[in-house]
Amino acid sequence: MITAERKPIDEIRAMVAPYKRVLVLGCGSCVAECAAGGEKETGMLSSTLRMANKMEGKDVLIEEKTLDRQCVKDFVILLDDIVDQYDAVLSLGCGAGVQAVAEMFSEIPVLPALNTEFLGETRDQGYWVENCLGCGDCMLDDFGGVCPLARCSKQLFNGPCGGSREGKCEVNPEIPCAWQAIIDRLDRFGSLDRLEQIYPPKDWSRKQGGGPRKIMREDQRR
Amino acid sequence: MESRISQDTREQADKKPRISQGVKRTLALFYCQNTPESGEAVRQALEKKYASSLRLFPIPCSGRLDPLHLLKALEEFADAAYVIACPEGACRYFEGNLRATKRVDMTARTIAQIGLEKERVGIVANSKENPKPLAKLAEEILGRVSEIRPSPVLERPKTGKGTKEKKDDHSRKKTH
Repeated sequence: MITAERKPIDEIRAMVAPYKRVLVLGCGSCVAECAAGGEKETGMLSSTLRMANKMEGKDVLIEEKTLDRQCVKDFVILLDDIVDQYDAVLSLGCGAGVQAVAEMFSEIPVLPALNTEFLGETRDQGYWVENCLGCGDCMLDDFGGVCPLARCSKQLFNGPCGGSREGKCEVNPEIPCAWQAIIDRLDRFGSLDRLEQIYPPKDWSRKQGGGPRKIMREDQRR
Repeated sequence: MESRISQDTREQADKKPRISQGVKRTLALFYCQNTPESGEAVRQALEKKYASSLRLFPIPCSGRLDPLHLLKALEEFADAAYVIACPEGACRYFEGNLRATKRVDMTARTIAQIGLEKERVGIVANSKENPKPLAKLAEEILGRVSEIRPSPVLERPKTGKGTKEKKDDHSRKKTH
């Protein structure tokens, strides 16, 4: 899932300050899971903004709606009947959602209320960790399901750096050493010999350098 | 049928409410239904006694409380919004009161960011040794919030000459 965090209130208020009719738009998918932009958080932000405006005597319309997803046109189009009532949309979607809404309704400013962070898992309730960089060339089978790109601070492919202490990373002692985890995992599978393979420098062109990536599946298209 | 309302609660209900003079504060009080003597009859009696100064919201556990409940109360009618929780270690759902504490803290930080006093929200844990009935707790919390200035969020009817005409209010909160 994509994780995000809400921007500071002051920053959001500065963004919406020029507008008199604002739609606060939530998303019921990834950002709801990480408690940043779901229906509840949309309600909280809207209420907070309305209170702040009332305290300053500002006459601003703040209304709210939450879509199932902001990154899928079939949901975004549901705004078609109402978006003209507003002069700005404050989106609590991830960066993909903000842009999808902006793409469909290009005549209205669509503002980001969240800072999109990383691809990750819900490790525990209220705790999300990054574990994938979306490199486009997954090698998890060779590393026992532990990604050296996302989880090793130095992004090493060919073994540990040797700086870890008691299984913790020397760059960031708060995180486990990814290579310790890789070795432990492969050892459990009896596959430590996989590490004898030398990995060449990664082809980063599959992740970056060529502009925004895309996937086209003709079998899925109309 | 013999009433289950204690003598203590009866006495509380009969006492004159001690509310600061001047503009009345309104308290939104969410309470765990496990609070002693907090049945519907007591709730109605307290709301009648305190009139617009108190609105009571029973919840199955303080852990059901969401920051949105507190924010909505502050936005729409309350000068302060509090929750009554069970004592630590005594929540029937184990962690509800702990979660409520964190959510109240979060709400306090949120409202502070827009210039509202953190004291407008709070959580009161009942006593483990001598749990108090709802009426007593409500009175104590009302006393606590009575000194908070009237909320600058709420529109209050002005009295006297020269009352301004109410402007067209765009700050409505339609949810699609």
